[in-house]
Amino acid sequence: MMLSLRSLAKTYPNGVEALGALNLDILAGEIVAVIGGSGCGKSTLLRLISGLESATRGQVKIHGEQVMAPHPLINLIFQEPRLLPWLTVEQNICFGIRHLDRLEQGRRLRAVLQQVQLQSYEKRLPKELSGGQAQRVAIARALITQPEVLLLDEPFSALDAMTRASLQDHLLEIWRDAGPTIVIVTHDIEEAAALAHRVVVMQPSPGRILEEIDMDLPLPRHELDLEPYKKRIRAALRRSLASTDQPELNLNEAISNRRVFS
Amino acid sequence: MTTTDLLAAKERELRSSRAPRSWRPAVGAPLAAVLLPVLGFLVWQILVSSGLASGRLVPPPSRILYALWQLQKTGELYHHLLATVGRVLFGFLAGAVAGILLGGVTGYFRLARRLLDPTLQALRAIPSIAWVPLFILWFGIFETSKVALIAVGVFFPVYLGVSASLSSVDRKIVEVGRIFRLSGFDLVRRILFPAILPALVVSLRTGLGLGWMFVVAAEFMGASEGLGYLLVDGQQLGKPDQIVAAILVFAILGKFSDGLLVLLTAPLTAWQDNFRREQE
Repeated sequence: MMLSLRSLAKTYPNGVEALGALNLDILAGEIVAVIGGSGCGKSTLLRLISGLESATRGQVKIHGEQVMAPHPLINLIFQEPRLLPWLTVEQNICFGIRHLDRLEQGRRLRAVLQQVQLQSYEKRLPKELSGGQAQRVAIARALITQPEVLLLDEPFSALDAMTRASLQDHLLEIWRDAGPTIVIVTHDIEEAAALAHRVVVMQPSPGRILEEIDMDLPLPRHELDLEPYKKRIRAALRRSLASTDQPELNLNEAISNRRVFS
Repeated sequence: MTTTDLLAAKERELRSSRAPRSWRPAVGAPLAAVLLPVLGFLVWQILVSSGLASGRLVPPPSRILYALWQLQKTGELYHHLLATVGRVLFGFLAGAVAGILLGGVTGYFRLARRLLDPTLQALRAIPSIAWVPLFILWFGIFETSKVALIAVGVFFPVYLGVSASLSSVDRKIVEVGRIFRLSGFDLVRRILFPAILPALVVSLRTGLGLGWMFVVAAEFMGASEGLGYLLVDGQQLGKPDQIVAAILVFAILGKFSDGLLVLLTAPLTAWQDNFRREQE
């Protein structure tokens, strides 16, 4: 088992119970899409797996080792690119591998630039990139560390349809080439059905798994009929939204109220 | 053609139409900067020369330039100028270093902020002149007390700028550092310090401006050299041309040092995507 989540629960200091006791096992090389309405704890789940947040109860384990803090085998791609504006594309991408020798850095840089098709952009500053290019740099920055687990928190939600489709193709190419385990949080049923081996539908108050839907279709799925799967996901989402009469929880606010250093 | 190819073509097109990056000011900027003072001087000179104004208490530019020439000829100008510049330089360095260090500590560590910040904010509210007698008692009448007073003037804006900007660094980019498992020192060096550089530059410029103000106060307290001394001397001997000449030198020095600071720090903040750069 690559990732194992056991009785995972998170309550923020302001009392917001983001996740109840959640159990999930993820296989090596599996792509899992986590889908659900706002405030059902999807982002919190990724933050707990990445080690950015610590669980109130329960455990996250990778290869049987408990994740207590950001882990070298796990990388997280955020909803926004979060590039460091003072660094060039090249420096941003190599941000996490500065400990490696320059030869190795150069070799990996060339490989990931090829993967995300940004070969001629190394010397650009983030302000000179479009939204799609910036997100590709963010993906390259995570890939260059060669993570075994890649977490993506709605990474394409702010992009136009064309760029989104292109980046989804890139993601599948990356998975085919390097085979990382991928956990992607999304609002988009289409995206979940197109990318995942398994779709996990969550429900709020507190966040927990409502249903797991296996997508037993080969990847990529451009030519395949996804409608029956999308119907199942849609039905599960409807049940998820109907299951609570509590007002939507503002987890983003709870997360942003956390201090990030001392 | 795939969506990727289409995107790549769109990006190439955008790239070819983009202007080269530059942080240098436009060529006409220095000329525009001196236009207003030169016009003001010309108008005043014409008013005095034509007898419409007496120019007794506010001397015309010709008399100010003559006073400057006389001071320069005797070597007095350089002597006083060097004394003032030296004091501002040492005071600025001391105040800026202390401001950056203490601002960094209180901005980064919550406990340090709780312990130190209230006291420092209370000290900030004390008028600068109130320090003068104490500094003379502590450090004597000579250079140390003057440099200390300037350092106090520089310290507070730098401290406040560093501390406040550190506290408000975007959580999202700090999390990038955490995901890549940066140590506390690396987080400061690779994320926090670069992130606050633009605010630090503004604080340093404010501090430097205050440094030039405080040097006058410092040189009023019994100096025998410096541009502040020229002001006192001009007042006591009834030489308004010398007073205005010294004020003019202060203005030129202040503007020059600020410009130098901006020039030296411009490459460090060239990454900013701001409105002004868009216009240039």
